[in-house]
Amino acid sequence: MNRTLNVVRLQFVNKQTFLWIPLIVLVGAFVIALLVFSLIPADGPMYSGAAQAPLWYFAIIGSQALTLTFPFAQAMSLTRREFYLGSLAAAAISAAAMATVFTIGAALESATDGFGTNGYTFQLPFLTEEGWWVAWLAYFVIAMFFFVVGFWGATIYVRFRGVVFAAVLVGITLLAVVGAWLISRMDAWPRVWQWLADQGALGLTGWAALLLVLLAGSSFLTLRRATP
Amino acid sequence: MTHVIEVSHLSKRYGDTLALDDVSLTLEQDTIYGLLGRNGAGKTTLMSILTAQNFATSGTVRVYGEDPYENARVLSRMCFVRESQKYPEDATPRHALRSARLFFPHWDDDLAGELVEEFRLPMKRTIKKLSRGQLSAVGVIIGLASRAEITFFDEPYLGLDAVARQIFYDRLLADYAEHPRTIVLSSHLIDEVSNILEHVLVIDRGRILMDAPTDEVRGLATTVVGPGDAVEEFVVGREVLHRESLGRVTSATILGRLDDDDRARLAAAGIDTGAVSLQQLVVRLTQRQSTVEPQPEEARR
Amino acid sequence: MVGEGRPLFLQIAESVEDAIVDGSLGEEERAPSTNELAAFHRINPATAAKGVNLLTDKGVLYKRRGIGMFVAPGARELLLTERRTAFAERFLDPLLVEAARLGLGPDDLARMIADRARAAQRPTNGDPR
Repeated sequence: MNRTLNVVRLQFVNKQTFLWIPLIVLVGAFVIALLVFSLIPADGPMYSGAAQAPLWYFAIIGSQALTLTFPFAQAMSLTRREFYLGSLAAAAISAAAMATVFTIGAALESATDGFGTNGYTFQLPFLTEEGWWVAWLAYFVIAMFFFVVGFWGATIYVRFRGVVFAAVLVGITLLAVVGAWLISRMDAWPRVWQWLADQGALGLTGWAALLLVLLAGSSFLTLRRATP
Repeated sequence: MTHVIEVSHLSKRYGDTLALDDVSLTLEQDTIYGLLGRNGAGKTTLMSILTAQNFATSGTVRVYGEDPYENARVLSRMCFVRESQKYPEDATPRHALRSARLFFPHWDDDLAGELVEEFRLPMKRTIKKLSRGQLSAVGVIIGLASRAEITFFDEPYLGLDAVARQIFYDRLLADYAEHPRTIVLSSHLIDEVSNILEHVLVIDRGRILMDAPTDEVRGLATTVVGPGDAVEEFVVGREVLHRESLGRVTSATILGRLDDDDRARLAAAGIDTGAVSLQQLVVRLTQRQSTVEPQPEEARR
Repeated sequence: MVGEGRPLFLQIAESVEDAIVDGSLGEEERAPSTNELAAFHRINPATAAKGVNLLTDKGVLYKRRGIGMFVAPGARELLLTERRTAFAERFLDPLLVEAARLGLGPDDLARMIADRARAAQRPTNGDPR
């Protein structure tokens, strides 16, 4: 247990990776969005995708936590289970911090009308209309989801190397294309959008959490037989 | 003597190649082992399976009587310093040593600090910008300062200059004298390490060719040099590891100890004898393996 | 310093014996410890310990509890006797074999040795030995 907690400290030893870089990415994207908002004359509220930027970075951390930190964790005589649990815990701490920053950002934006620009980066009505804690949870799950996707992809890559990794990527893309094609064939798009809207922020967060758990579980099973 | 590691009938197959071929051995507590062999002989594979970083195709490994796989109790007593260790992105030596302090229960921070000074390791430069020798120094410092009960060094000296290698050997011996532990040193610079080894394991093509105390190995082979006819007559019935001739003089390396009778015979026939270093012996043994059908039992005698 | 061929612990024991024989390590003086020997010769401490054990078994060194190893009284005489015997075996026996092959008897040899010794002393009086 103690060793697992130390994995969290191991992941945080280099504060750059989990703290400063995501913060810089976030602040940078936010400032740019704010500049853009202030340059564009506003008719109604505007929404930016700047909040996505640090989320993508979570996918990169997820893959690096595996490709580079896993071999080092092995050199530190850690078990794969200790490494896995500790890394997820480190990601959860980061995701929680990120969600808190987003929620506070959203609160500030709604109090100041987007800092006077009427442009919003964090305050997305779809997320915040069900309550602040739902928004926080949604941000948290999304950040974790990105991390786990990166982590999961990297486990596949480390365990099976190039060909299988490529095959998995192609497989997923094919599945998505076939899914979209089927939906189009059955003229089901309106129903799909309706279903998504019916779920609401909380419902979709729940589905994302389910997918997250599945991916996390499958990366653990893959990692158990991975070699550094 | 206590067995700290027991390996029986361990094999590892990568596709068509057999990296380890029915390896059985035991490692004793508080002993310095040399794991000697050519590149690709199976040294790294063996050590990574012993530390549960890699998986055996068949056979068993017991460390302190237990399977090391996913076994924190056993793993925390071992440290494996890889030749090509990867470090987290943007990590510096300072980060690496700080992490090691978290996980090795016998970690000695003062020793680590002294070694950093001696190796002149820049602590704030990122590891990916270090020279090959500085990279090796990070591993060497972690391996020594961890004071793990079983420490594996896999070719730890790549890129280290002669001075730095000597620092490593001296520090290893000094620290080992005060804190005895089991050390496995894989190396192909055999002459450099032969005096610090207590026990020698020679591996070639995944097979253990020799598993013997260093004292026994010394004098296990002799080179005899003299008139061709006389040398040929003397080596009849002995195993010749190597033979070369220049004009009428022949030099032959023979396996097995010489007794007093042999020495008298050699002196009478005007044949000189020369000692065979551990390095030469390993070279000859592995060369023999590549020309003759392997006979590991014989080599172990 | 340390050569190949013979077991290392024998060579270590000999290095200590050499110091006793040439007087640089006196009787009742503290002898180098196992770890000191290991560090000095850059060898495995277990090997050094084996060499030291050999010397204690022989009665050349003895252990004072808690202090270390010391040179036993009479150690130098013991070693000199042992070495004189070994000298005869190692050098005189092959000398006699070769001499016989050349038709030289023991008396001829004695004369040759005396001549050589005299010749060697004259021109190189400055030799420290």
